[in-house]
Amino acid sequence: MNDPLLAPQPPMAELAGVRLAYSGGEQVLRGLDWRLMPGQVVGLLGRNGAGKTTLLEALLGLREVQAGVVQMFGQPATRLDDTARARIGYVPQQSDLFESFTPAQLLAYFKSFYPRWNEAKVEGLMSRWAIDRNKRIGKLSVGQQQRLSIIRALAHDPDLLVLDEPVASLDPAGRRDFLRELVEGVLERGTTVVFSTHILSDLERVAFNLAFMSGGRIALQAPLDELLDEVRVLTGPTAEVQGMLQQLGAQSLKRETLADGRERVMARLPAGVRLPAEANAEAEAVTLEDLFMELT
Amino acid sequence: MISDFEFSIHTGSAEPIYRQLVQHVRRRVASGQIRAGDELPSVRELAQQLAVHPMTISKAYSLLESQGLLERRRGLAMRVAPQHQRAQSAASRVELLRPALARAAAEAQQLQLPKATALKLFKDILDEADAP
Repeated sequence: MNDPLLAPQPPMAELAGVRLAYSGGEQVLRGLDWRLMPGQVVGLLGRNGAGKTTLLEALLGLREVQAGVVQMFGQPATRLDDTARARIGYVPQQSDLFESFTPAQLLAYFKSFYPRWNEAKVEGLMSRWAIDRNKRIGKLSVGQQQRLSIIRALAHDPDLLVLDEPVASLDPAGRRDFLRELVEGVLERGTTVVFSTHILSDLERVAFNLAFMSGGRIALQAPLDELLDEVRVLTGPTAEVQGMLQQLGAQSLKRETLADGRERVMARLPAGVRLPAEANAEAEAVTLEDLFMELT
Repeated sequence: MISDFEFSIHTGSAEPIYRQLVQHVRRRVASGQIRAGDELPSVRELAQQLAVHPMTISKAYSLLESQGLLERRRGLAMRVAPQHQRAQSAASRVELLRPALARAAAEAQQLQLPKATALKLFKDILDEADAP
């Protein structure tokens, strides 16, 4: 597995100062910076309407940005050559499968575009996920269409896999099948993965890194383990809490003023730093849900 | 190989998955359910079984190795280190329970529950776990 910390490698994708507004005038991306390093598995978190889909589309070069730079494999994302394009797998939020095709026809069609096509993987998944090869796609259930969309995205063993709400229509068993496939067939190849979902339990299992989107930017990106180990919510008299944060060198992530000169601060402590045992402020550990609520 | 190595993990917890795994193995070793020489599933096998990122499993195993519980052998499965021959005394096993109970105690205080009520609940839960 690629550990981005071991060897400095160029990023798979890089966005810098990206701005994008829809014709209505509302700015969705507001000077967004983001880097995806090889082998990273990043869960993209944000509220509905935060711009996750827009961001993923800009990343893939499917949307022109109004300012800033979007690069993929060192090339401008909107002008990728065929070799670079063939390294990407994408599962869009809205199925874009041709409804009048059968799964067998669809896969044969896509196969013709890719120099690399893992027939064994495709056949294995088609059988295990029980997709009827000869039924018209329009007649398949939404869940079956989503599975087919995932198979299409995995079929050419992509180096970068972008998944926009890939499991929204799958039941818990289907989601577990998908996660297993991700762990077995995708992560093992060192594939870089970005996926957005609101199902936090799935992210906890497979997303080593989390990116929190808020205000048109990536507000924070960090390994989940580190966040759970290092983020605490401190509640107490303002002076006490601020004194403690300063003393520990903690980074304040979210601050909320309470009544009676008290406040609540979600803060990230430096790695390995522990809170003093006797302090005049309460400290609580956080869950991923807490992080989502406060940081998105 | 420990065939029935039932790891359980909980999502939605403030405890990262790698630490849940570490504590799980520590408890199993402390109670003597797994002992010196017993082999653990490979990173790959466990990652697949739990549908968890393999780096999370590696992190747990490395931590257990640095704590002296597991032993890594080149090309072979991780196994429980030789000094862990038998279960620890009840006195040292009960210490492993302290962090979980300390958390529960803090929550009981926040809820302003009488001690007897909290203790009765703990006893009831233990009894439930005993029942077939």
